[in-house]
Amino acid sequence: MAEYEQLLNIGMAHYLTVSAILFVLGVFGIFLNKRNMIVILMSIELILLSVVINMVTFSSYLQDLTGQVFAMFILTVAAAEAAIGLAILITFFRNKGSIAVEDIRAMKG
Amino acid sequence: MIEALAFYMFATILIMSALMVITARNPVYAVLFLILAFFNAAGLFILLGAEFIAMILVIVYVGAVAVLFLFVVMMLNIGQSNVKTGLVKYMPVGALVGFTLLGELIWLYTSWDISKYAVHQRLAPILAEDSEISNTHALGEILYTNNVYLFQLSGLILLVAMIGAIVLTLRSRKGVRKQTISEQVSRERSDVIEVKHVGFGKGVQ
Amino acid sequence: MEQAFLIDYFPIFVFIMIAIGISTMAIIASWIVGRQKPDDEKTSPYECGFEPFEDARGKFDVRFYLVAILFIIFDLEVAFLFPWAVSLGSIGLFGFWSMVVFLAVLTIGFIYEWKKGALEWE
Repeated sequence: MAEYEQLLNIGMAHYLTVSAILFVLGVFGIFLNKRNMIVILMSIELILLSVVINMVTFSSYLQDLTGQVFAMFILTVAAAEAAIGLAILITFFRNKGSIAVEDIRAMKG
Repeated sequence: MIEALAFYMFATILIMSALMVITARNPVYAVLFLILAFFNAAGLFILLGAEFIAMILVIVYVGAVAVLFLFVVMMLNIGQSNVKTGLVKYMPVGALVGFTLLGELIWLYTSWDISKYAVHQRLAPILAEDSEISNTHALGEILYTNNVYLFQLSGLILLVAMIGAIVLTLRSRKGVRKQTISEQVSRERSDVIEVKHVGFGKGVQ
Repeated sequence: MEQAFLIDYFPIFVFIMIAIGISTMAIIASWIVGRQKPDDEKTSPYECGFEPFEDARGKFDVRFYLVAILFIIFDLEVAFLFPWAVSLGSIGLFGFWSMVVFLAVLTIGFIYEWKKGALEWE
């Protein structure tokens, strides 16, 4: 009965566990998708999303708004990262005609 | 009770769609599942009381970042990728790293307890729920004043992203004839028309 | 931690339920009422009498990407404007000028891309 209670009382640990699973899925995605760099960028987005969930959870349970401010900055940085990462991807695709990670071995295109 | 149900629904869909993002064979499906993941994360943020972050997530991520990914997938026109080959090759290392990390993180988080001293170190305490100040208003009060350097820094990061994307991808095509309206409008009659008086039997020079 | 403000979201919940209900009903009704005669030819791409030449998915131009980038940057700018607009009364002159500097920095980028011709559609 106590375990049942713990399942229904959503606490900090629940949200943090979700964020941990999301983080590990993002790391998994980087390992798994060697042929497609776009999915790697999406995995990085997932990792950043899990970080934001962490920030907001602690902000909510500590009753401190600073975590949410930092979540906004993380989202900004994530958007800028996606923009630059995809621009690099497009330039790479133009030069090599592929987006597989194995093809990235030269220092100079 | 309802909160618990909503939490489990959002969390399950979030994790399932994240799983689909990394395993989907068609990158277009991966992007669509990413959008679903962002939506459900926004639901979690609403449950946590961070309404503004939830709104930003829907507007900026679902509305812009996911569309950007979709554009790139369409632009590069990548076919189906075979996940299986990578799966066999990298699975042992990936599983080792992943499950170790997951075990450690869950072990840490489930035993986490907020210290009673932490309460006294809050920088911007959230006011009681019955106060008139909304989440967005409270966020605005500390975002532009207490965190002004970080705020300006994020502006600079956006500037760098904008310039970097233009420098990396913009190629001006050669030999494109463009209409310059100012030139057309500023043409004078005397610039283009010349009246010639042609005498008999001499022709035009 | 039962949060009282969640009750504010009840109308949204009702709307979502109605939307799901109506769309499910539409799908089920078309399934029941319409005649079901599945055939491969019905779902194949059709081009006036001959076999389709190429894949239906064409490549996009890179300019769409640039427009999307500009959209993201200015979307985030607007996202930062929301809390500023709501709390302008209590953050004073410092908060106002802080946002003006932020906007000025992004305007530099806007002028750059205008001069560079990233907004032109050749």
